[in-house]
Amino acid sequence: MMRETWQRLKSDPYGLSGLIVVSVFFLIASCVWSGLLGQGWYEVSGTRWEGISAEHWFGTNLIGQDILQRTLFGTATAFEVGLTVTICSTLLGTVMGALSGWYNHSWLDEIILWLKGVLDAIPFYLFAAAVAFALQGSPWAMHVAMIVTFWTTTARIIRGEVIRIKQRGFIEAARAIGLPGLKTVFRHVLPNTFHLLLVQASIVFVAAINTEVILSFLGLGIQDGVSWGLMLAESSQEVLAGHFGNFLAAGTALFLLLMGFNLLADALQDALDSRRIVR
Amino acid sequence: MLGVTFISFLLMVYFGPDKTYELLGKNPTEEQIREVRHELGYDRPFLVRYGDYLRELVTFDLGLSDSNGEPVAAILARTLPVSLALVLPGFVIGNLLGLALGLLAAWYRGKWLDKLVMSASVVGMSISFIVIIIGLQILLCTPYGLNLFPVRGWQVDGPGSYLYYVTVPTLALVLVTLGYNTRFYRAVMAEEIERDHIRTLRAYGASPAEQLFKHVLKNSLVPVLTRIMFSIPFVVISGSLLLESYFGIPGIGLVTFNAITSGDQPILKAVVGLTGILFVVALMINDMLYSLVDPRIARP
Amino acid sequence: MLKIKILLILLVPLMAGGCGQPPATGDVSPAKIYRHAMDGAPGSLDPAQAASIYANFVVVNIYDTLYRYKYLARPYQLQPNLAAAMPEISEDGLEVTIRLRQGVHFINDPAFEDGTGREIKAHDFVYSIKRHFDPVTRAQGAWLWQQRIEGLDRWKAEGSDYDLEVSGLRALDDYTVQIRLTRPFPQLIHTLTQGFAAIVPREAVEKYGQMLASHPVGSGPFMLTSRDSVRVVMVRNPHYRKEPFDLADEGFDHAIHEAWGLQKLQGKSPPFLDQLEIEFINEGAARWNAFSAGEVDFIKVPVSQFDSILSRREPPQLKPELAERFHFEASSESGFIYTNFNMADERIGYHPDPGQDRRNQALRCAMVKAFDWTRSNETFFYKIGRVFPGVLTPAVPEYDAAGDTSYIQRDLEGARQLLAENGWNEETLPVLEYGFPNGVTERQSFEQFRNFMTDAGYPADKIRPLIFATYGDYQRAYSAGKVPLINSSWTMDYPDAENLVQLYYGPNASPGTNSANYNNPEYNRLYEASIAMHESPERTAIYRQMNQLLMEDCASITGISRTLLFMWNKDFAMKPDRSFLGGYFMRFVDLAESLNDAP
Repeated sequence: MMRETWQRLKSDPYGLSGLIVVSVFFLIASCVWSGLLGQGWYEVSGTRWEGISAEHWFGTNLIGQDILQRTLFGTATAFEVGLTVTICSTLLGTVMGALSGWYNHSWLDEIILWLKGVLDAIPFYLFAAAVAFALQGSPWAMHVAMIVTFWTTTARIIRGEVIRIKQRGFIEAARAIGLPGLKTVFRHVLPNTFHLLLVQASIVFVAAINTEVILSFLGLGIQDGVSWGLMLAESSQEVLAGHFGNFLAAGTALFLLLMGFNLLADALQDALDSRRIVR
Repeated sequence: MLGVTFISFLLMVYFGPDKTYELLGKNPTEEQIREVRHELGYDRPFLVRYGDYLRELVTFDLGLSDSNGEPVAAILARTLPVSLALVLPGFVIGNLLGLALGLLAAWYRGKWLDKLVMSASVVGMSISFIVIIIGLQILLCTPYGLNLFPVRGWQVDGPGSYLYYVTVPTLALVLVTLGYNTRFYRAVMAEEIERDHIRTLRAYGASPAEQLFKHVLKNSLVPVLTRIMFSIPFVVISGSLLLESYFGIPGIGLVTFNAITSGDQPILKAVVGLTGILFVVALMINDMLYSLVDPRIARP
Repeated sequence: MLKIKILLILLVPLMAGGCGQPPATGDVSPAKIYRHAMDGAPGSLDPAQAASIYANFVVVNIYDTLYRYKYLARPYQLQPNLAAAMPEISEDGLEVTIRLRQGVHFINDPAFEDGTGREIKAHDFVYSIKRHFDPVTRAQGAWLWQQRIEGLDRWKAEGSDYDLEVSGLRALDDYTVQIRLTRPFPQLIHTLTQGFAAIVPREAVEKYGQMLASHPVGSGPFMLTSRDSVRVVMVRNPHYRKEPFDLADEGFDHAIHEAWGLQKLQGKSPPFLDQLEIEFINEGAARWNAFSAGEVDFIKVPVSQFDSILSRREPPQLKPELAERFHFEASSESGFIYTNFNMADERIGYHPDPGQDRRNQALRCAMVKAFDWTRSNETFFYKIGRVFPGVLTPAVPEYDAAGDTSYIQRDLEGARQLLAENGWNEETLPVLEYGFPNGVTERQSFEQFRNFMTDAGYPADKIRPLIFATYGDYQRAYSAGKVPLINSSWTMDYPDAENLVQLYYGPNASPGTNSANYNNPEYNRLYEASIAMHESPERTAIYRQMNQLLMEDCASITGISRTLLFMWNKDFAMKPDRSFLGGYFMRFVDLAESLNDAP
């Protein structure tokens, strides 16, 4: 199945370009993590609001930090947030969805469904603000806020799939040969829902990056370090005075990465879902 | 509903911002700190405070703002219309335009027009709300761009000034929702168009307009309405939160934002309760619509 | 599709009509409107809660106080407002007698018996001050008078019963107030100029309770007509007392004030405006745009615009094309910005072990040396802020212009040396958190601060941000001693340096104003010795000595006073103020044109 997917993805120019964009950004992020790039994000290396030069490709900000360095470091921040949130919320959603699907109509299912309903009913930014407050000072406040809200869709998908597959025969068969219930779910059901998870994960990733920007802008984002959201927040105080460095650098980087991910997600969906008619 | 209020109360109020220090004078004593906390009711047990909150919501007696002593109900009554006036045009245009483009794309599925619309919508989906807001502001409100509209504010006293202040926020809202809306509506319409009876109609030579309006649109009414209904509370609160704090518009979003940053709990409690109610109302209206629309979906 | 479009066209104006504000009603259409821009919004308009300069600005226009400052005289001088004259003070300075003007009335309000405002009497003032000592009020001004007025604290302890008399705060008759102090308090009359001391009628408090905060009932020159989170609108109080404007008495100086068209106000009775609007615009850029678009008539110019409006920095001068249209003034703020070390934190402050205590002091002094005031001034204040050593700002007469400035000069070599000599290196240096409430500028300040320290060899990962979502949460954290590096600003409450030196008085430690928790017995002794003194060469010598102690201990990286640039529309004859006079200047604002037309 993976092979087939890859073939389809390769033949889709949009998806392929999306993949390339995402890979390039991921490469940048890896370089930042391993200390090759963007290490000077906090250093003051110039005077304020310098224009574009050989030394400062994207110019400098108010306090004289290099905007290029900050943009590069922001890439790592975006991936760090995106990956953490995606992995955790997918795991959480999978477990919750599997539990509630497997114990369909039991009290456990009811509680999980109720929790989902409640979380869906609270406007996201308010909720994120509230979590950020409750965990004030913790560098993970924003991550937690996103994880606890983003798992619901994944759980809904998994729950539906589990119920569907449960009704089919082969789980019954596994049960008949003596495999315990929940273990069976993870062994047999999850591989069958892998493609759905992958698509949902890419959607969550996009949402996480987008949300980080907005939360950072509202001042509920990351603590130390720099992110595109913080750069945009900075830029909102500068653009009216005619300094566009932060805005252009962070805005463009953000747009490219999101675009790459959206294209990739679409292509994945097309490639994995044989029902869909290829464009 | 109880769940919404409970979780939000726990987070926003119990663990939420604390106004004590904003209300203290300089050089306060421990005793004065206790006094202020007592006046604010922070020292009462959790369940008592939660019970009070529920009673306040049910009786709609929302108390007074901790910041300026105005009744919370009056603040909501003043700000809610502003927020509605702010987001409604963007919301309506965003959905109508999305519907139209989605329909267009679905109708010409696989043709260049479809591809163009879909590519554009992916581009739209990829631009962050913040970038759109700042970008539009540069382009439309500053001497670096066209400089046609105000940078911020809301001094509406007639249709002219309304258009003057609402245009840029509306454009921002339309741009940020259009991509998502278009994709969603295209998917819904495409499914509908692929249905057998539409194909049959097409085969019988019904005019495209007749096909579209009489059948496709009508049949896809349920998912479309569901989406619209459910996005209302979110657009009003979340959309206005960003737009209003950025453009300095005195609506419910700005009030909420200020309440968060100043720890004005009576307002936070009211806003959270209100969204919970809105959500439940949306749920109920949605159920009603289902029962209204459903019987008319005659399947051949 | 067409139908929908038509619907939309119909809908838009409909909604606009529905949501617009009703046109201003009233028999006379407002002729003279002045629109002021402020960089923050007031919270409560209850005088007892008027803690911010923004609230104070509005409150002193709606309510009356016994005293105010003279419009034009600088340094600031007291002037009777509702009081008939300056107070009579007994020899020992403990008994203060104030006579009130007669025949001054509150505005009409349903709170009064027949809806018409009654006359203000001495007991109204007594009541208004007592309110600060009643927990129900949620008042924020009690600190000005506690432990100072005889019997007032006891009155509170006994349950804040307004029917009980306070021996130190009495109405001798309808128009005479007598205050008895427990110890000399030279700053008392200054406190009576503040919004906190504004006079509130008991009827209104009893009728409106907490809602008084949004429904003021005062006797000031203006009356509130509407407010929301972005503006307040006030109209002239038609019954405001007639008090002809006297140029000489207000401190008019031809050399300074000539160009602003104030002479023609002579003999007229304020307020001169029909309508006063105050817009709250936090973001500097937005404020500037509103000003350049003519939406407001006055602005405190945001720092980001300094570049584009000034042709010269020293002294600041407006570009000629702007000077044609606008008046301009540069003035130093009545406060300063500084970064305190939390002396109660053993990582950086006092330490029971004398050796470690000395090393900590060396570390603080090294950090003081590493801080680059010139650069900070350039980044955030366009190089026109005024940097000064210690706590005595350039705005007070105790400031020593010829004094030693080594405390504010960057000395990286000295900093490194100090660290090395005391055994501080990358391993031994402690992890320190720098606290700030969330905000773009605050974060930039932090990042710059960290850079200054890394320049002296402090590892970047050992200086960490501690960010708080609200200012209140930040305050709570540093008051609880959880923040070793406390970035703060102080705005003076009255024009007397006592208000500055008390910032490091030991007993004022957290949760008091001494957030550094500085506690030097010698400093405390000097402060106590000077408490009863008025400004004098003797007191100045003591204050400078205290300032020196503070710097020797390196308790704070301090400080800078911002230079504020004001611009206002030439259509108006006025002299704006943002510090002690504050909102009081607005009653004197007039349209320049109407002055010319006047016969």
